[in-house]
Amino acid sequence: MTAPFVVAHLYRRRMNIYGDTGNVTALCRRLEWRGVAVRVVSIDEGDRFEFEEADIVVAGGGEDSSQLAIADDLVSRSEAVHRAVRAGVVFLTVCGTYQLFGRRFVTTDGSEIPGIAVFAADTIGGGRRMIGNVVVDSPWGSLVGFENHSGRTRLDPGQASLGRVRRGFGNDDTSGFEGAVVGNCFGTYLHGSVLPKNPGFADELIRRALRRRTGTDPDLAPLDDAVEERAAAVAASRP
Amino acid sequence: MLRTRAAVAVARLARFASRVMGRGGTALPGLVALRIDPSVIETLAASLPEGVIVVTGTNGKTTTSKMIATMLTGSGRTVLANRTGSNLARGVAAALVGAVRGGRVAADIAVFEIDEAAVRQLGPRLHPRVIVVTNLARDQLDRYGELETTARHVAAAVAASGIAVLAADDPIVARLGEGRGEGAVWFGGEPAIRAAMPHDRALYGHVEPRFGGRLDALLREATPQGDGQVVRVDIGSREVAVRLQVPGVYNAYNAAAALLAVAQLGIDPVAAAVHLADMPAAFGRGQIVPYRDRRVRVVLVKNPAGFNQAIALLRAEAEPCPVLVAINDHHADGRDVSWLWDSAVETLADTPHRFGAGGIRAADMALRFKYAGIQAWVEPDERRALDRLVDDAPSGATVYLIPTYTALLSYLEILLPGKRPEEVWS
Repeated sequence: MTAPFVVAHLYRRRMNIYGDTGNVTALCRRLEWRGVAVRVVSIDEGDRFEFEEADIVVAGGGEDSSQLAIADDLVSRSEAVHRAVRAGVVFLTVCGTYQLFGRRFVTTDGSEIPGIAVFAADTIGGGRRMIGNVVVDSPWGSLVGFENHSGRTRLDPGQASLGRVRRGFGNDDTSGFEGAVVGNCFGTYLHGSVLPKNPGFADELIRRALRRRTGTDPDLAPLDDAVEERAAAVAASRP
Repeated sequence: MLRTRAAVAVARLARFASRVMGRGGTALPGLVALRIDPSVIETLAASLPEGVIVVTGTNGKTTTSKMIATMLTGSGRTVLANRTGSNLARGVAAALVGAVRGGRVAADIAVFEIDEAAVRQLGPRLHPRVIVVTNLARDQLDRYGELETTARHVAAAVAASGIAVLAADDPIVARLGEGRGEGAVWFGGEPAIRAAMPHDRALYGHVEPRFGGRLDALLREATPQGDGQVVRVDIGSREVAVRLQVPGVYNAYNAAAALLAVAQLGIDPVAAAVHLADMPAAFGRGQIVPYRDRRVRVVLVKNPAGFNQAIALLRAEAEPCPVLVAINDHHADGRDVSWLWDSAVETLADTPHRFGAGGIRAADMALRFKYAGIQAWVEPDERRALDRLVDDAPSGATVYLIPTYTALLSYLEILLPGKRPEEVWS
């Protein structure tokens, strides 16, 4: 591999409320530990960027006001994001950006923030805030994180979820689903940060990104994840 | 007034009972008083001849309050303070009720540290003569909600106050002074000092305006010396120089805020500052506690901004020190530990220190260290962790304990056994 692996941090300034930087850190370290050079690119409102130049795009959560502030910019990138998703670029969207990767977010006061409809989902704000540690059964093992959202995300029939909630609220506290997946684009409510404590999921993102680059299944060297697994086990045991 | 008298009497009975039963709880008398007389706070606070000073903000409340109370006491006043770390309505009520002698509050003035969410309700009830806002940064999201919400809470309290002492270098606090004119006075640092304490939003590339007008208190110098530092602050035409027993640029800011606050009462800050030299750190706020022939420096952390300040302290420490970061996740700590990833732990990798991870979420802290390129030992048990920490240092050496709130209380029981919280908080 010649050119460095590119991790693009979308809306680092505004959509980064609680530890979502840890996802970028986790990807970088796990690539570097395997001898892969990484470059991190920060993309904020107005910055020009072709998503297909990225290997993985990471975006986090934000306050309602931040969501409003980036909404127009995201809509202006809608075409580019869809193109990149079709091309197999890996996306990880957490909380606030996950909501805006759906069709719309209707806030508590009834105003509507348009999303870019990568996911066939709508999010309605209001009601009891869903806060706490969460455990999700996913195809990449159980995922452990912390959720904190008032928006309830409803997936259309046929829209794949990231997994089933074993503990916690997930998308909407009723369906039992957590997150959404379209191709290599992932959405989730899990903070924590999600990737450091879920190394299998982090490696799945890396594996998909490398596969897109090389066209073959990458041979990811195994890492000692004892510290990661211990942290995940403790988090899963907490109220 | 009859209601208030009844509230005071029953609350004091409750306090007596809870002490006899050996419970250190300081909330009960306040809760009882508020139940009997919901306006007990307003009534008693209004009887203070020199009024009330309120200190709020994300970090630095306890130390700034203690500095103000120390200077006011030194200038001959009888000062009432909620020193027991109870900074909600019940803590304020308990302090007021506990100070009643012969039907009135036996104090000239009160200094209350108030939680930045509780201040929305308490500000209008206390009508502070002076309110100090130390800073506003991201805090435990699961407890406080969004920063914008906290800013609105504090704005409501500022609106109910006489003079607001505001942090000019903090873009969120700077907004609170808009339109207040003479009703706001400002403290801030010279550019070099400002650079040493970036606001946590600046760490994420936000470029937001600080207060651009003339500063009423200018922090010119914060030079480490011994366990503390030498701080110089210009207040109007007065040049204040003081040696603090607490380290860290953030504590120099706290001193500037405290000096500016007492100056609002017509007290000469140069004379008042003398009393700061004798002020030991509040527990957990840089305090040094002897333990097994070592010096344990305890620095409470609660949020990314506070953690970054602790990290700056460690980076300034030239001697290799053992460091224990103890993270709990009870409600008072914030159940979400995501904030560990927002702190610049990476910048500790090139220090000579050795690190351990403790607390209920020791494993999370160890993971954070790992991804920062630091190998740390892990020990959730407090006593074993403390022993491991000091075993790693020679006799007489300094070690660092960096706990979250409830971890601080647990370690306190080991470090200072048999002491009630109220004996060590002040």
